[in-house]
Amino acid sequence: MIELFDVTKRFGEEAAVDAISLRVDSGELCALVGTSGCGKSTTLRMINRLIEHSDGEIHIDGQPVRRFKEDTLRRRIGYVIQSTGLFPHWTVARNIGLVPRLLKWSPERIESRVEELMTLLGLPHEAFADKYPDQLSGGQAQRVGVARALAADPDILLMDEPFGALDPITREALQDELRELQARLHKTIVFVTHDMDEALRLADKLVVMDAGRIVQQGTPLELLREPATPFVESMLGGDDRGLKETSLVRVSERMQPPGQTLNAKARVHRDATLRQALAVMFREHADQLTVFDDEDRPVGELSLQRLVGVTRHE
Amino acid sequence: MIAALVAWFVADLVSVAANRIVPGEGVATLDAIGWGGVLAGSLAMLAVAILGFRPNPRKYRAALIVTVTMLMALPAVLALAAARLADSDMPQARLGIGPGFWVVLFVTLLAMIELRTRLGVSRLNGWVLMLPVVLSWWLCLSLWLAPLALLQEFRGRSDQFVSAVLYHLALVGAAVGTSLVLGVALALAMRRFPTLQRAGFGVLNFLQTIPSLALFGLLLAPLAWLAANVEWVSTLGVRGIGWAPALIALVAYSLLPMVRNTFVALSQVDPGVIESARGMGMSHVQVFLQVRLPLALPVMLEGVRITTVQAIGLTAVAALIGAGGLGGFIFQGLGQAAMDLVLLGALPILGMALVADALLGALSERLRPGGAK
Amino acid sequence: MNEHGVQWRANRALRHWRLPLAWLVLLTALTVGMAELESVFRWVEADSRQVIYDRADFVTLLGRHLLVVSVASLLATLIGVSAAIAVTRHAGQDFLPLVAQIASMGQTFPPVAVLALAVPVLGFGTLPIIVALLLYGLLPIVRNTLAGLQGIEPSILEAARGMGMSGGQVLRQVELPLAAPVILAGIRTSVTVSIATAALGATVGASNLGDPIISGIVNGNTAYILQGALMIGLLALTVDSTFERLTVRRISR
Repeated sequence: MIELFDVTKRFGEEAAVDAISLRVDSGELCALVGTSGCGKSTTLRMINRLIEHSDGEIHIDGQPVRRFKEDTLRRRIGYVIQSTGLFPHWTVARNIGLVPRLLKWSPERIESRVEELMTLLGLPHEAFADKYPDQLSGGQAQRVGVARALAADPDILLMDEPFGALDPITREALQDELRELQARLHKTIVFVTHDMDEALRLADKLVVMDAGRIVQQGTPLELLREPATPFVESMLGGDDRGLKETSLVRVSERMQPPGQTLNAKARVHRDATLRQALAVMFREHADQLTVFDDEDRPVGELSLQRLVGVTRHE
Repeated sequence: MIAALVAWFVADLVSVAANRIVPGEGVATLDAIGWGGVLAGSLAMLAVAILGFRPNPRKYRAALIVTVTMLMALPAVLALAAARLADSDMPQARLGIGPGFWVVLFVTLLAMIELRTRLGVSRLNGWVLMLPVVLSWWLCLSLWLAPLALLQEFRGRSDQFVSAVLYHLALVGAAVGTSLVLGVALALAMRRFPTLQRAGFGVLNFLQTIPSLALFGLLLAPLAWLAANVEWVSTLGVRGIGWAPALIALVAYSLLPMVRNTFVALSQVDPGVIESARGMGMSHVQVFLQVRLPLALPVMLEGVRITTVQAIGLTAVAALIGAGGLGGFIFQGLGQAAMDLVLLGALPILGMALVADALLGALSERLRPGGAK
Repeated sequence: MNEHGVQWRANRALRHWRLPLAWLVLLTALTVGMAELESVFRWVEADSRQVIYDRADFVTLLGRHLLVVSVASLLATLIGVSAAIAVTRHAGQDFLPLVAQIASMGQTFPPVAVLALAVPVLGFGTLPIIVALLLYGLLPIVRNTLAGLQGIEPSILEAARGMGMSGGQVLRQVELPLAAPVILAGIRTSVTVSIATAALGATVGASNLGDPIISGIVNGNTAYILQGALMIGLLALTVDSTFERLTVRRISR
């Protein structure tokens, strides 16, 4: 659990972060969103004390961060940055084993941990362990970056626009992987991004920042339904936000039990989002879809009225 | 500044010698210029040190004024010392400049340069700043510093000095000019024929590695042989000793930086720019003259700068093989243990190198796209 | 590792070091066997009584030359690298512009002028040469070390700190290895210049490989000059090619 109480960072006279309070519960993925220069990265880096805060308190599991030695604190917290920051003179395996080595694990334990992580992140050990960072593609390098951050099994992960430099397809793939990873590992993650779609896809909790202050925080649905200010609304894409909302709700949440007349073509998986369901309706010129499950059995149906009704506040 | 202060008190400011051959006797600052002078100097240095402690722009400006004033006062210090120590019984007496003075001068100069960069003074204003300093030095030198040994050495051979400076400059100019033409031609040839590139750089690197003294030496024998056996060569004035081996060696050394910078400069022009120029319908020649060359010029000039500075120093070494120039004074002075004669050769060389460096550096800065106009 | 593998590695190492080894062999041969070449030098310098420099034997001259250069270079490397490290740390930041300024300005000073200016201050002999070489040799090392350390991508350093490496660990495990090729290039320049400048030291009373050249010039004996020039040239090539191989090895990894 991470807590910020009235945290301020001043560079000279100017406050880059201005008295913000925030609480990230254990196992929660919290996304800090805002335009560049809004203080989101500064906030992130105050948590592992790469930047010292000027005022207020930052607690990790109830303990103020200043009570720890900087290095000890950082070894307990995973850290991923946009440009990966992989050491170009070390192999992939050595890069991943960095923090365990700093913590003086035994060589065997480090080796098995590295192998485990590489498998977890879909990097076959034989193929990648001895490669150097400049031999990797952007997506592979960022996977190594994530593996390195997870190496010592920290409870907390700080990610600073980790997927910002990747092409859209790789970015989406990595977002999905992170979501799966998080479903399994339940880390406490603070994730900085300027990409609202990314934040909506990944976050349990969304924090919109502007000019060093928090403008609004809440679940993605809460923000989409009631943006507090015009700024938040424009960040959410203005009129588009109705569509964004549809990608946050799954078909299974809104379907009815299956009726009699089943359209074989107009069908959608129960785990798909309403947005995908809408797309299928468009494509098939249908206002009713059959919902099926993993074994391809019909488990329900979804009508246009219900779909749209959901997006109206109930 | 602290170092300067220590030197100010501990080291000898000047030395006095009865005549040229006798080594000078050290005189501490206190004896040389008296209490008043010492106090004024110490106060000024302390002021700069204190102003540098908790810096802000206003303090920097104040410190800059103090340092410039100090630079202006330093020759006056020498003049004062000369006046106090001059002995009417010994009209031959000479005043040498001691280590204490050098250290103070050096530290003050450094402080001024540092302050200038910190304040972001423009190049032009920087030179304007130097103007009163130069003026004050010139005034003191010509009016009150007659016993200064350096000056006496100079007066003894002012004609020689002027011709040596000119000769030095001519040799450097010839070497840089030749290597500029050859270097650009070679770089262009290397771009056209990539096979030439490896071999060319190999040879040039090899030449650069050979110490100057050795290269001058190695050139002696074949040139002497040529001069003895081929008539037209000797009618040109080529001898084993003299300007010929010097010029050849200078050009050999100058080629590597010249070719390397020209080659790199021409190659590193953004291919996107070249492609778009071609796409607009510019011919090969037009692209080269109007796009590639102007964009490459600053880096090429950097090569000229390195070459010139290097040649100024190497020409001094060439004096050993009879090429003349300012190096002659240095080695003559070393041979006769006359240190002021060494200084008479070394200081102008230093000055020439610094001026060439500054001028060519400024020029390449100006030519850089978006550079100061 | 089987015998064949050892053989293969040895072969590869031999091939790798072929060039420096060749220069070294030539240098040694010339040092020891200069007298054997008397007839050749006799042909060059037919008129002189003496054609082989004999005021000191070449082993001694080479030894002195190497001693001066290696002491100066070693100290220069030690001081230069630590100075550059010091001013790139947080505590020493104030001095960074000053040191960088001196390092780049000092390089415009011609070595001859530095040597000549050192004599009035330090006197004649071997010590002033070492000091002058040391001071002059510092400049490329400081400049390259600074360039190497500052050329490291900031994100790599941020990641290193973010992972919880201490200042010393970042320096030893990340900064120095990454800057090593550039630092090595600086040391190489410094040593090459030192070898050349040390030879000039013969004019200020140090006895080394510059001696035969100077005395050859003074006495008009081309054979002496050639002997000194060949020795210095070979020494410079041996050292330089060794450094080149070292650099290539580091980069190709």
